[in-house]
Amino acid sequence: MIELKNITKKFGNLTAVDNLTLTIPRGEFFGFLGPNGAGKTTTIKMIVGLFTPTAGDIIVNGHDILTHPIEAKQSIGYVPDIPFLYEKLTGREFLYFIGGLFRIPKVVLHERIAELVDHFEIGSWVDKRTEDYSQGMKQRITIAAALLHRPKTIIIDEPLIGLDPRSAKIVRETLQIQSKNDVSILMSTHSLAFAEELCDRIGIMNNGRMVLCDTREQLQIQKARYDGKFESVFLEMTKQVR
Amino acid sequence: MLIHILRYKFLSYMKTTFDRRPVSIVRGVASLFVFGGFAYAAYVFASESTCFLLDRTRTGLYLFHTFISMMLFVFFVTVNLGNIIVSYSTLYRSMEVSFLLTKPISFTSIFVLKFLDNFFYSSTTLFLGAFMMLLGYGKYFGYPLYYLLGVMLVVLVPFMFLSACLAVLILMAIMKLAGKIGFRMVIAGLFTVYFFFIYIFFNASNPMTLVEKLNSFFPNLDTYLVQSTPEILRYLPNQWVAEFLYYSARGEMIHALPYAGILLCVTAVVFCVCLFVARRFYYRSWLISLQVPSAVQAPVNPTRKHLIDFRSQSIFSSQIEVIMKKEVLIFFREASQWMHLVVMIILTCLFSFSISNLNLHSPVLHMHLITYLVLFAFGGFMVGSLALRFVFPLIGLEGQAFWALRTSPIKENKIFLIKFFLSFLIVFILAEYIAISSNIPFTRITEMRPLLLWFGIFSAFWISLTTVACNLGFGGYFANYFERNPIRAASTQGATLTFLVTVIYLIILVALVFVPISAYFTSVFRFQYFPMKLIILPGLFFAIISFFLSLFGFVIGLRSMRRDF
Repeated sequence: MIELKNITKKFGNLTAVDNLTLTIPRGEFFGFLGPNGAGKTTTIKMIVGLFTPTAGDIIVNGHDILTHPIEAKQSIGYVPDIPFLYEKLTGREFLYFIGGLFRIPKVVLHERIAELVDHFEIGSWVDKRTEDYSQGMKQRITIAAALLHRPKTIIIDEPLIGLDPRSAKIVRETLQIQSKNDVSILMSTHSLAFAEELCDRIGIMNNGRMVLCDTREQLQIQKARYDGKFESVFLEMTKQVR
Repeated sequence: MLIHILRYKFLSYMKTTFDRRPVSIVRGVASLFVFGGFAYAAYVFASESTCFLLDRTRTGLYLFHTFISMMLFVFFVTVNLGNIIVSYSTLYRSMEVSFLLTKPISFTSIFVLKFLDNFFYSSTTLFLGAFMMLLGYGKYFGYPLYYLLGVMLVVLVPFMFLSACLAVLILMAIMKLAGKIGFRMVIAGLFTVYFFFIYIFFNASNPMTLVEKLNSFFPNLDTYLVQSTPEILRYLPNQWVAEFLYYSARGEMIHALPYAGILLCVTAVVFCVCLFVARRFYYRSWLISLQVPSAVQAPVNPTRKHLIDFRSQSIFSSQIEVIMKKEVLIFFREASQWMHLVVMIILTCLFSFSISNLNLHSPVLHMHLITYLVLFAFGGFMVGSLALRFVFPLIGLEGQAFWALRTSPIKENKIFLIKFFLSFLIVFILAEYIAISSNIPFTRITEMRPLLLWFGIFSAFWISLTTVACNLGFGGYFANYFERNPIRAASTQGATLTFLVTVIYLIILVALVFVPISAYFTSVFRFQYFPMKLIILPGLFFAIISFFLSLFGFVIGLRSMRRDF
């Protein structure tokens, strides 16, 4: 469960996120949409502890990320927008590295890595150094790493970048399974169709504010007001540019 | 085209240099203060040394300039080596080159652009140091400022430029060779050549022999210098600069100017050769450089267990274990890291071994004191250099992958402390080795009284603690997570600033130990009693200064780890 209470993030004079309040309950798949520079990645970075909010509180699974970061981070699986990895480590070594940071016992870790290698079909190259990986390969490794410790919350920023259709299908199915297993998911994406297909609720950000936040059913009503396309709703909601 | 790109690079440089944000202004003022201090120290050093050598020791003008020539040779080699190392990353590993190669720009233009970028990037501090030394030198002879500016532009800058041109020529030759015989062979060959030169160098100018000869010739050092000047130096660029300065000092410009002319002509010719070689070979050598990672990388065998393997159990907690393993593996898989460390360890060992065999014959008290202080300062300087090269980049080298650590359930303090202890352990062992070896000769002359040895061990602990804490902390503060090259990371403005702080710290330490060590040698030579409180009090100040500087490094480093990423 994620609770954002009046969070604001300022970079000098620029307000990247402006008084945002949002709750994502357990098991909900939340789609986070918005044009470039809307504040999606900034919000995500605040939730995972990479940015400190200028104001407001962030509670993840009952733990305040500012006052109890260790407990909060223990329950999060994070996939960044660009999957940077340690280039001199192999994919498997990176998975062991992340497993160790999340204090997963070695015996359990061996099994989980074997499972994930199998699930993401990465066995043929997981023992090569990540400097030789394509963007899609790196993306699959970071998603596998995010799932290693069986998080209660998954935060995933642009999951489809660089993925081929087969990998995209694996990622989509994986996220659906996680959502069914009571894991709350916050996914930022530019793919309207992907969000519409997977998410229980969709929020659209623009200029640091949430301009729309509806369930899939409510979204159908919104779409009906325009030409029945989600794209039209999105463009209307985000036409005001900072 | 070249001017067009240079204009935009200049604009970008100006925008980043003259950033008006409060943090940048504070940083700029602090840099100005430290660089100003460094510049002033260089000026005073040059001015005082010139006065001391020419007036007090009555070293002749020619011998004095021979001495300058030797210093310039070291300077030339330093600029040369620095440019070989840094130009590999600017000419071959830069993203900007990849970008420019996709545009309709000639290879020669790209080469010139990156070469100039490299030269000015790696030589800025050297320019400042060289000019301030020139000012200090010129003060003695009463040269006007415009004349010294002229000497800087017409003599010293071409001198450094020549060194940089030779550096890129050597680098391109290495790449060419690598394309023919393979990188592994070239690396092995380079190692062999490097160690051959070290052997020759230590045979020819062994510090042990040098100090012993200086001891036996003292106070007639000029006589020794006359004997020690090799004839071959006359054909080297450092000698041309020295000859120019010598004849200028005598007011014989008619004899001085030809040397400046030779230097300018040779520099121009070598630069033209550089352009010619670059035109024919730069792009091809760039293509060869793409094969470097796979050529030097050993094939991975997933079933074989390695000495450092993430799958193995460990006595440490899982977080400490994986971070340590990651640090070690990444270090030893980056050729520029481990090779450089091996070279530095070998140099340290050779230096320490030579020093430990030193025989101090001189009955003159001051020679022992000066030798002790020089060795003390040089040992500290070596430790500082080690820390700068390997510890300063540690946090920045996490790079963009730092998200993995920052979003994991681990305290930032823990990450910082693991990095600190790993680097401290290595630096501390080397520092103790240097300290013990450089104290052995003094233990012999003080009839095995171990006071200096204990003091050396004590100093090595505090110096290694302080330099590691400062370099790690400042490295975090100045971290550039986009810089993937450790050598470049260790030569940024932040790194220079850190090194200057280390140098100032070492100067303070030398000043602190001067009185007690002087009193100690006096007591040894005059068979007097040495009261321990004379060394305990400065030792205490030593520890307090080191402690607070280390604390400052820790605080600044920990705060940097909590910054937005």
